Amino acid sequence: MQRAALTGVCGPLRGGARPRPVVSRRLVCLFHTGLRAFAADKELLVKLRKKTGYSFVNCKTALEKFSGDSKQAEAWLHEQAQKEGWSKASKLQGRKTKEGLIGLLQEGNAAVMVEVNCETDFVARNAKFQQLVQQAATGTMFHHQGAKDQLTTYTKHLMKAAELSQLRTGPAGCLLSDQLALAIGKLGENMAVKRAAWVAVPETYYIGSYVHGALPAANPSLPNMVLGKYGALVICQASEQSQKSNLADLGRRLGQHVVGMAPLSVGSLEDEPGGDMETKMLAQPFLLDPSITLGQYVQPQGVSVLDFVRFECGEDTEIPEAE
Amino acid sequence: MAAHAMFARGGWSRAAGLRGCLSHHLLGVLGTVSLPSPVSRLCPILVRSFAVEAKKTYVRDKPHVNVGTIGHVDHGKTTLTAAITKILAEAGGARFKKYEEIDNAPEEKARGITINASHVEYATANRHYAHTDCPGHADYVKNMITGTAPLDGCILVVAATDGQMPQTREHLLLAKQIGVRHIVVYINKADAVEDQEMLELVELEIRELLSEFGYEGEKTPVIVGSALCALEHRSPELGLNSILKLLDAVDMHIPLPMRELDKPFLLPIESIYSIPGRGTVVTGTLERGIIRKGEECEFVGHNRNLRSVVTGIEMFHQNLERAEAGDNLGALVRGLKREDMRRGMVMCKPGSIKPHQKIEAQVYILSKEEGGRHKPFVSNYMPVMFSLTWDMACRTILPPGKEMVMPGEDTALTLTLRQPMVLEEGQRFTLRDGNRTIGTGVVTKTLEMGPDDDKWGA
Repeated sequence: MQRAALTGVCGPLRGGARPRPVVSRRLVCLFHTGLRAFAADKELLVKLRKKTGYSFVNCKTALEKFSGDSKQAEAWLHEQAQKEGWSKASKLQGRKTKEGLIGLLQEGNAAVMVEVNCETDFVARNAKFQQLVQQAATGTMFHHQGAKDQLTTYTKHLMKAAELSQLRTGPAGCLLSDQLALAIGKLGENMAVKRAAWVAVPETYYIGSYVHGALPAANPSLPNMVLGKYGALVICQASEQSQKSNLADLGRRLGQHVVGMAPLSVGSLEDEPGGDMETKMLAQPFLLDPSITLGQYVQPQGVSVLDFVRFECGEDTEIPEAE
Repeated sequence: MAAHAMFARGGWSRAAGLRGCLSHHLLGVLGTVSLPSPVSRLCPILVRSFAVEAKKTYVRDKPHVNVGTIGHVDHGKTTLTAAITKILAEAGGARFKKYEEIDNAPEEKARGITINASHVEYATANRHYAHTDCPGHADYVKNMITGTAPLDGCILVVAATDGQMPQTREHLLLAKQIGVRHIVVYINKADAVEDQEMLELVELEIRELLSEFGYEGEKTPVIVGSALCALEHRSPELGLNSILKLLDAVDMHIPLPMRELDKPFLLPIESIYSIPGRGTVVTGTLERGIIRKGEECEFVGHNRNLRSVVTGIEMFHQNLERAEAGDNLGALVRGLKREDMRRGMVMCKPGSIKPHQKIEAQVYILSKEEGGRHKPFVSNYMPVMFSLTWDMACRTILPPGKEMVMPGEDTALTLTLRQPMVLEEGQRFTLRDGNRTIGTGVVTKTLEMGPDDDKWGA
């Protein structure tokens, strides 16, 4: 099946590579006199492959097409990659994507959390995939750019796959769906930008965040981004007496609690302390000190929890959506 | 008490590797028993009962080796596995499994942990192989931790059409992480690439990458072929011959693992008896090695260290000159009293093993569905560790940068025991909390106790 898919993709390219016998005859001629020319060809090919990461077959086709001009070849390859990405994407459509990453991006008073899925956790660990997660996050952030000023209360906006694919990655950026197709073409696995949450708060509020399961080798090319298997955003309101400096730490703990205890609702401070099965956040035993509830933990610090978002990579989102 | 023995048996991994493919093997036998077909048509019931009786016993005439395949999802790992079984089936060393028959990663349970893995077994002229394929990084890590099929070597499958993928780096990283030292490369789909030069480039590139990850890129066997051709009986040079070459390379390049019998002996003590007129007898199952009458031995664990000599070995009330790994035996030891020893200590070859109090381990924490914890835990969590025949409270410290461990994830942990017990690299253990198994792990490194570590009173 895959073989058929490949020939399908390569079909038009092979047409372009028709003069191959000529090339090889030339090579034979050169064999005695011009081994160096052959070596140069090969070197160029290896170089182009290393630089662009496209398959040898395509790199060769590109070099032949532009008779060794690697700049033009590269440009053509990029162009071709987009087309191939789309055809690959449609071929792989329907294959299950259960792995992937949660990406969290926080900028000032706004935060974005996205989930991007792929087929294996090998790909989730790859830098190219992580770039895609970043693009999805910055795209979501950019999309809401206008909405985050002059807020009186917090705003939360959840987005699903269809909406997300129409996003642009930046002011002059390309469509997220194009980027997705490119990544599929490069990594050869089905992928999906599954969902995103955007949250913005006014001055006196704070967004606590936590990402769990961050990979040991964090990608240095992705500043501000945190990637992992679980993510949580907790929106809290700080009263005057609470200290700003502690908020980041507190927010992180609250995020941890949300990831670990998976509450379904916030609840209120009046709720009876619940047991291990409690789903109301404030009534749950606090993760880091089970002898008190979360409500009892935050109240003395002058902080109230208003809302939260929790993403678990690969979880079924059908049930919460139905509610 | 018998349950203890079930929990954590470091050394039975080899046997477990076989166990993983036992059912396949049985199936294989049923499939290949050469019955005259008219008989089977005439009396199906008779044949059926015959087949059940005819279950072939596993003949241990060849050394056993575990291999795995890694590679991109579309590069033909399953096709390659199918091709290997097809070709070996013709020589009687396997049962042919079609592509569709090789179940892509069915769920299996090992020590209560769900692992996605497919197992196939086959034999070359020299060796017997269990071939494992897992879909993801996490499954391979679980596989390593539980020791279901510890990989002695790996076949890296790369399609000639694509060359290595960006995630091939992650594949090799995994191989490093789970301790695979020997890799053989199969460049698949060579029939779809017309010119030779391209294949050379793919090979060149993969060798470079292997070297980058600390493998011997230049010496690694790289076999070019097409598993599809082998399956479809096309172009034998790329098909059949490439598979034979690959199997040769695997035979040659992946060394035999050290057999349990060749290691210094180790007997975890299950119970101790005082027999009037004879002396003290310790019983247990010999974990590894060979023990002979008259050999010196050492007892280690529970803060004790004693030397003695084995003056007699008994199994099933009969005297033995020597016992081998796997034997359930009683050993008569000279000059020791029953009170000197305790269950959980080990009897070993003197000097071969030391007790440790602090270790680094790779641990898988069972998910809620597997019967594990519902909630994550943080540093200083105190479960009870079970290994060999002992159990001991321990304190967990998470690695730097990690603040909590969620159920269903694997992690590195530093564990400090209340008392030093016999622990060594590669030993497996189980963590329990109350009456619940919460995790299982393997020791990756033994550590010395630091000045701050001794705070058990607090």
